[in-house]
Amino acid sequence: MAKKTYDLLFKLLLIGDSGVGKTCILFRFSDDAFTSTFISTIGIDFKIKTVELRGKKIKLQIWDTAGQERFHTITTSYYRGAMGIMLVYDITNEKSFENIVKWLRNIDEHANEDVEKMILGNKCDMTDKRVVSKERGEAIAREHGIRFMETSAKSNINIERAFCELAEAILDKTSGRESAENPERVVIDRRNNDKAPGYNKCCA
Amino acid sequence: MPGSGTGTGNVPMAVKSTLDIVRQRFKEDEIVHYIFEAYQIQGQEYLDRLLALVSSESGGTYAIIAFSYLRTPLTTANELIINKVFALNESFQLRQDGKGSITTMQFDLSTAEDRPIKYYYYPLKSQEYEEFVAKVISCKNSMYKCDPEAVLNFSWLNDYRQIGEVKQELKKREAEYIVYKDIIIYCATWNVNNKPCCDSNSPLRSWLACSEKSPDIYAIGIQELDTPTKAMLNSTQMQATVEQWTQKMVESLYPGVEYEVLRSVRLVGIMLIVIVRKQLRQHILRCQLNSVARGVLNTLGNKGGVAISLQLHEGNICFVNSHLAAHMGYVDERNKDYNAIVEGMRFDDRRTISDHDHIFWLGDLNYRIQEPPGQQRPGPLTDAQTYELLLQYDQLGQEMRKGRCFDGYTEGEIKFRPTYKYDPGTDNYDSSEKQRAPAYCDRVLWKGTRIEQLAYDSIMEIRQSDHKPVYAIFRAKIKKRDEIKYKKVQEEVLKAVDKRENDNQPQITVETVSIDFGRVRFNEPSMQDFNVYNNCPLPVDFRFKEKDMHDICEKYLQVDPRQDSLMIDSARSIRIKLLVDVRTVGNLLKKIRTSDNFDILILHVENGRDIFITVTGDYQPSCFGLSMETMCRTNRPLSEYTQEQIKHLMRDESPEYQVTMPREFFLLIDYLHRQGSNLEGCFNAHDSRYSLGGHFNAVRDWLDTWSNEEFPGNVQTAAQALMLLLELPEQSLLEPFVEDLLASSSKSKAMDYIALLSAPKRNVFMHLCMFLREGILCQYYDLQQVALIFGRILLRGSSSSSRMDYNSRCIQFMRFFIDSDISDSALGNGHASGSGNIQAKSSTSATFSSSQSR
Repeated sequence: MAKKTYDLLFKLLLIGDSGVGKTCILFRFSDDAFTSTFISTIGIDFKIKTVELRGKKIKLQIWDTAGQERFHTITTSYYRGAMGIMLVYDITNEKSFENIVKWLRNIDEHANEDVEKMILGNKCDMTDKRVVSKERGEAIAREHGIRFMETSAKSNINIERAFCELAEAILDKTSGRESAENPERVVIDRRNNDKAPGYNKCCA
Repeated sequence: MPGSGTGTGNVPMAVKSTLDIVRQRFKEDEIVHYIFEAYQIQGQEYLDRLLALVSSESGGTYAIIAFSYLRTPLTTANELIINKVFALNESFQLRQDGKGSITTMQFDLSTAEDRPIKYYYYPLKSQEYEEFVAKVISCKNSMYKCDPEAVLNFSWLNDYRQIGEVKQELKKREAEYIVYKDIIIYCATWNVNNKPCCDSNSPLRSWLACSEKSPDIYAIGIQELDTPTKAMLNSTQMQATVEQWTQKMVESLYPGVEYEVLRSVRLVGIMLIVIVRKQLRQHILRCQLNSVARGVLNTLGNKGGVAISLQLHEGNICFVNSHLAAHMGYVDERNKDYNAIVEGMRFDDRRTISDHDHIFWLGDLNYRIQEPPGQQRPGPLTDAQTYELLLQYDQLGQEMRKGRCFDGYTEGEIKFRPTYKYDPGTDNYDSSEKQRAPAYCDRVLWKGTRIEQLAYDSIMEIRQSDHKPVYAIFRAKIKKRDEIKYKKVQEEVLKAVDKRENDNQPQITVETVSIDFGRVRFNEPSMQDFNVYNNCPLPVDFRFKEKDMHDICEKYLQVDPRQDSLMIDSARSIRIKLLVDVRTVGNLLKKIRTSDNFDILILHVENGRDIFITVTGDYQPSCFGLSMETMCRTNRPLSEYTQEQIKHLMRDESPEYQVTMPREFFLLIDYLHRQGSNLEGCFNAHDSRYSLGGHFNAVRDWLDTWSNEEFPGNVQTAAQALMLLLELPEQSLLEPFVEDLLASSSKSKAMDYIALLSAPKRNVFMHLCMFLREGILCQYYDLQQVALIFGRILLRGSSSSSRMDYNSRCIQFMRFFIDSDISDSALGNGHASGSGNIQAKSSTSATFSSSQSR
């Protein structure tokens, strides 16, 4: 029996401007924790989280990228191979929202064509500092035909849901291709009930 | 507390005892009962271990936790590393067996989950060892005495355990989610003596529907199924026989319950069919079958066994139906058949018969009753007394007691008449010539846990065979998941396994993610070192990653080492060298123009993260490598510019210039021009251009500061500097018309393109040609040679540079401009260009005078 403890492995990527909360979103999802100190990600980090969707154990390998502008040319080289991408902006930061278009263009240029995308408006707990309305977020998502959700890593709003929804969208896409991947349950085949199995084997 | 204060006699009171420190390692409701110092031997090494006997109040259970020390004596609980956890569960064993070993002072600890671990102790600790063992035994007994059925909760230990794989973890925590479900299992066996099924008018209900409660699973075994030679070869006929029997059996099951045939298996005349209650079907997660042929030549299959293995909920159940060797004297053959079936039966998942929680073995085992010759039966006996007497001589019972077959199997008490051999149609024992002695051929045995036999009997009124059918009813407690509890445990396990994977990700820390080289000058090497540390609990490999198929870094950088391994808690210094010289200045200037750093290195940790290391510096601009246009935009010496300022000038694309020709270029030409005959041979050393002499940096500074001092070099260095000024810029001087100019057949045609060059380039070109022509006229150098050298510099980057005639075309082009003979004759064709030439000449003269006046 294979050693692997999951049925499927999905590689996901978090992108977006620096400081929008990509690392916090990942940290909340993987460790169910939050820290408010900002440590800029200088590179590419990843975490593992296994979720169960439709009876399948799906191992999510989530890559967290550096958001700083100077790293953009390097981080785009990590897009290829990602099956799902979370584009994150900060609802209290207009610029980070405007840049979503730029990030989308980056995806078009560098990611696989059939990559699943989702836009996240993070920090939705900070209502008094909000500058990007939910409607604008929904509008841009609709315009590009992608999923959208407002999240808060701090208050744990929609984080799990967002990842599961993205994973499910990928699952929908892959389910057609992976009929060979069989969980351990055996379908009992009763067509050959009356043969004497093992007989040949014993004579051999 | 013994064991705690050892070796601390002289230590002041303030120092905590080992026991106190160990206590800190545990939670408030966990009690440390005893600690014992032992050691392990690994290879040549003796490794100290501290065994702590601990209990949890909330869990009500005990465990031994083995620690290793980071140092001795201990000062804090953090210096205790958990090495192994042994739950004092049912399977826990403390075994002392020093036979043949180097010392008797050793013992093994083991549980079902782990292999035994050997520990040793020092002679001085013998007394404590006794106490330790006594404590462990009394703790274990105290848990199991009060309620042997109780499910003990060891979940508190999860906080101390290393997390294994998901499956293993789920298995370990089974007690937290497993419940037991009662299942009624109905086993039946009958040797039908080759009688066709339709012979029997009476239904088989008296045999198959004897239970009080409705059975959940039926396992019905038949031997000597009607198999005429013809039928053996004719599978359709055989199938019809099997179907008839199946049909008959299904009709005769416990009434009012919907059953479904799960699967059947047949080996010649031996058939086993498993029928389950319909609602149970969905909980059967696995079903496999196999058979082992015995009999004639041990292969024909007239004897042997068939088996069906299934998983119901979490319980693995196996049913075996066997027909073993016949005749009174063939006990050994029967034992052999039994062993062959046990050995040979392998299901698709490599499972053997014994790999099941519940095993039911039924069939015509053919063991006989072997009364000693001349045995006299005492007076009249009750039935029970008769059976008891007969069973004393039952070969199966005898062989089992000798351990020759059915090891570990149990059989219920037999309270029925021998099932063999009857005159068919009667209840009379064999009246034929052979007068076979009656025997208990047909049996049902079981092996496994949580099985209770409810009934075991034979049916006298089914008479068509020479055997009577037998049945046995069992209640088995099958393991089943409590789905809600299981979900919760699984969630926790997945979380723990993910956490382990995340925590065990190879990690290194770098001293800094930005390497600043500070002031960087042309042709002056510099370097920076930084450290990488491995502070994660496993060795780590790292390497610098190539970017977009290119090298790991820009040409002007060198990284050493490019890859390495780091042991735990070790560091490595990485050196980055930077050299902006004639080979690399172009790369650096290009980088400065487009970016705010010198480079970003990707430090990749194998199976881990990537760290970006930004390399920066403050490049002191120099004329070398700059384009003529950029230099013409300067209004003061380059040494007075910052990197940022020169970046702006490099990005500037407007046609506005401060001067018509770069001053640095003019200064060199001016110097060379004044050397007169000293110029002889100065432009011949083509290959030495890239090896800069010791004076070179002085020449660099002289040019970059517009120095009024004497030129610090000689003719050679000046000539070298001049050629580098022309050669180092990213674009060659005659771009974007290199191809056109190489193809130009006359000076006038070439002049048309020259006129289109940017003003700085055009002026430099014309001025250079004028200077060279003079030198040639004065015969300071050879026309052919100079034409080739400068042609190749000015027309570099051509796609035709590898062509055979490239050199000759370079020479031809240059000769238009530096060969006075050609230029004179060519001028006749292109008067307009000639005037351009003059214009350029006059304008450059103007520049010279202005610069000279400085």
